[in-house]
Amino acid sequence: MIIRKWSVALSGLLTVLMAGAFAPGALADGAVTEGEPPPPRVELVLDVSGSMSERDMAGGQSRIAAAQQAFNEVLDAMPEEVHLGIRTLGAGNPGDDKVAGCLDSDQLYPVGPVDRLEAKTAVATLRPTTGFTPIGLALREADKDLGDDPGTRRIVLITDGEDSCGQPDPCVVARELAAKGTHLVVDTLGLTLDDAVRQQLSCIAEATGGTYTAVQDADQLADRIGQLVRRADVPVENPAAVEGATQCADAPLLGAGVYIDRAEFGEPRWYRVPVRPGQELRASVSVAADRAMDPDHGVLLRAVSEEGQELTRGTGAGHGRTDVMSTGLRYPLPEPEEGDTSASVPVCLEVSNSFSVPEGQPRTPGLPVELAVDVVAGPDNPSDVAAFGLARGWVPLVLLTVVGLVAGVLWGLLVRMGIALGRAH
Amino acid sequence: MRQGLRRTIRGAALLPLTGLLLAGAGTAVADDGGQQEAGTSFRTATVIAQDETATAMASTGDYLYWTFPAGAGQTATAEATVTLPDAAARSGPVTWQLDVYDGLRRRQACTEGQQTVTAAETTASIDLSCTLRPVKPWSEPWADDPLPGAYYLRLTVVELPERDLGLGVSAQVSVTATESGGARASGGELSEPLIPAARAGSIVDLEADPDAEEDGDDTATGVQPVAVAEPESGWMGSWWTDRWVWTAAGGVLGAIAGVAGYVLIRPRQRES
Repeated sequence: MIIRKWSVALSGLLTVLMAGAFAPGALADGAVTEGEPPPPRVELVLDVSGSMSERDMAGGQSRIAAAQQAFNEVLDAMPEEVHLGIRTLGAGNPGDDKVAGCLDSDQLYPVGPVDRLEAKTAVATLRPTTGFTPIGLALREADKDLGDDPGTRRIVLITDGEDSCGQPDPCVVARELAAKGTHLVVDTLGLTLDDAVRQQLSCIAEATGGTYTAVQDADQLADRIGQLVRRADVPVENPAAVEGATQCADAPLLGAGVYIDRAEFGEPRWYRVPVRPGQELRASVSVAADRAMDPDHGVLLRAVSEEGQELTRGTGAGHGRTDVMSTGLRYPLPEPEEGDTSASVPVCLEVSNSFSVPEGQPRTPGLPVELAVDVVAGPDNPSDVAAFGLARGWVPLVLLTVVGLVAGVLWGLLVRMGIALGRAH
Repeated sequence: MRQGLRRTIRGAALLPLTGLLLAGAGTAVADDGGQQEAGTSFRTATVIAQDETATAMASTGDYLYWTFPAGAGQTATAEATVTLPDAAARSGPVTWQLDVYDGLRRRQACTEGQQTVTAAETTASIDLSCTLRPVKPWSEPWADDPLPGAYYLRLTVVELPERDLGLGVSAQVSVTATESGGARASGGELSEPLIPAARAGSIVDLEADPDAEEDGDDTATGVQPVAVAEPESGWMGSWWTDRWVWTAAGGVLGAIAGVAGYVLIRPRQRES
């Protein structure tokens, strides 16, 4: 047993050393074959409807002037590798023609590498119009502008009014776009503290995992847009899309890595992970609350054997405002018995949640699920819960002393008896 | 003892290697001063080191994430200070909460500290803190004990007047760790710390690619982990604990007592 353990440890060490030696080469090869990673793309969507001429920013600046100033600052400070585009919302002067006005959304600067001078010139031409505010439409168009390539895709929506077109509802559009699995995040900035605007913008942000900010002056606007653009530049790989099954037998087999899925309400999702005996399965899951939810919620992740026996589970539960509920589990598959083959065994993972929506809230599309899976070597199980089985504290000290004393006394007695016996003989 | 040897060998052979790999992965992290941005989800959490102070500007309602390392034998304490928006702009009391999750995204209990704080309308800033349980090098898979690896901090407002959503705030967080000492030194160890995978996964097709099964070890080491740096005391702690001293002292005392007992009882030389 000990020898076998040693050989396992040694071979593990060798593997790690080899992986260490070859990993950089392998990574470099991968980069060459895959080419440059897709650049992060951000589109700024700016409302230019009539109300933008109101001078209620700090220092009596008009909203549009504050936005222009902020855009210029952002263009100066933005990272080179980010591809930036600008789209306007409510462009043109349709007058009372709501149908035409609700189709007005122009691309001011196409998404791509930014020529600062050109972009600033374009920004300087912005003037408030008499247009409507078709936010839903602008979101769809902006999503198209960003293209389908993998990589970070963000929309920064800056507006001072709620959608004035009604259809399509921008929050529904945002949820639709998020559900397409193209990793779109919409951050919203409101230039007024109006209740309806705030509700709509925070709903859009929540639906896509973005943020909502209430802007009060040009500096804050510039800081925030700059921060959101930089956030797009954080190197994070998008998870792979996967579709869980309704039962274990049909579930997709997952390798190590991060996945996203959508879980319908009240419907568990099943996945399988091949794990070899002696290896440890690690899985974490988070279910996002992308719409208004009832206050009590939870998530359950179960590892189940193919025979349907539960191996272990992770639970998470909470109350009140939250972005995600998450939990995780780890399960080391027992080491094989002597002579057993070490073929991998699929372990089933069941993800379920107890989110519920209040009356009148949409139940489709399902909730975003993020699943992270890893398989590593199994742990070194201790034969004793104390480190190396060592003792600590006064009780063992006294015990050892007393035992020593008793042993010494007994030894002394034995020696005496031996001498006494020797004399008797 | 086998455990001890293995631990020492692994420690000697693997630590520089992991250090190298992590250093390579961590180049994207600015090393001058503290981090000035927070992440917005588990995957985008900003990596901070122990004893580093990170700051972030945010909007009320944002969920701010950081991730920090903790090794076996450490007791980590996270502290956060939130500077609230101008009292004039606010319309009521707000409640902020600091949550800690482990590398498997399991919520961890706080043994000390105020994790949830309610601020009155006029309060300018609030302090939150959370002390975790001591990190163990190993636990049963059915337990949710803190284990070595990455930990996530999530700072957010949990209750607020709807009107205050989106107002600007700034936050500052830091993580410190103390050694929990020999009393908490326990046996066993994980093969790898709980560091979440950062790479997109791929579906395994066992039928089409029978070799996939043989690549088990590749999947174990081939996934790019989140670039959390190993704490100075190592992920799995050290083989050294004061239990060695206690146990050895017990042995010495036992031996002395044994000799004393023998001297007390042994036959007197004169008598023979």
